[in-house]
Amino acid sequence: MERTEIISRTKDFLSREFEVDPSVIVPENNLQESLDLDSLDYVDLVVVIEENLGFKPTADDFKTIVTFEDFFNLVEQKLGA
Amino acid sequence: MNTMLVSQENIKNYIPQREPFIMIDALVAASDAGFQTQFTISDDNLFLEENKLSESALVENIAQTCAAGFGYLNSLIEGAEPQLGFIGAVTHLEVFNTTQQGALIETEVKVLNTFENIHLVEGIARTAGTDLLKCQLKIVLA
Repeated sequence: MERTEIISRTKDFLSREFEVDPSVIVPENNLQESLDLDSLDYVDLVVVIEENLGFKPTADDFKTIVTFEDFFNLVEQKLGA
Repeated sequence: MNTMLVSQENIKNYIPQREPFIMIDALVAASDAGFQTQFTISDDNLFLEENKLSESALVENIAQTCAAGFGYLNSLIEGAEPQLGFIGAVTHLEVFNTTQQGALIETEVKVLNTFENIHLVEGIARTAGTDLLKCQLKIVLA
């Protein structure tokens, strides 16, 4: 999957699931703050990632994610893009 | 799934609740995919309102089904410490019907996903094949 498609698809499903404006999902923004995630929300995040991107992230994966840029990098790595 | 794993006599070994707050009688099935319990509403049930069981009692019934199921599976692990389960959130709540004293409630819980110690489950309570209430719970085991 191309990076532009990863970004487009991510904006779509994250904005719907977490009810945020798609414009906040940009590489430089903090993922946790932008989506207003608490610890319980991470299981929802795992569910939508699995449903929309086809892989299940681990707790170690989330340790590497601060910004959406980090998230897009992880997706590329997981999907072997 | 298996059949009649924990009887009414032993259910207290797997859930923290005590009378009159126990809302399950027996664990009849448990696997990593989900759990099933049975519960007969007694005449003196605390959650009867004008002879109808309250919706909150059915949510509690689903939560206790989770507690019993996770507790039972944990007990199968040699040397595992007992775990406490907490309800983190109740979502996607749908109420279909109510029921009354004497009814047998059969509850089924499916584990939808797990992240670390947080389990996302979907539970449905039925009586005589009629759906009563469905909801999703986030259960945190600690």
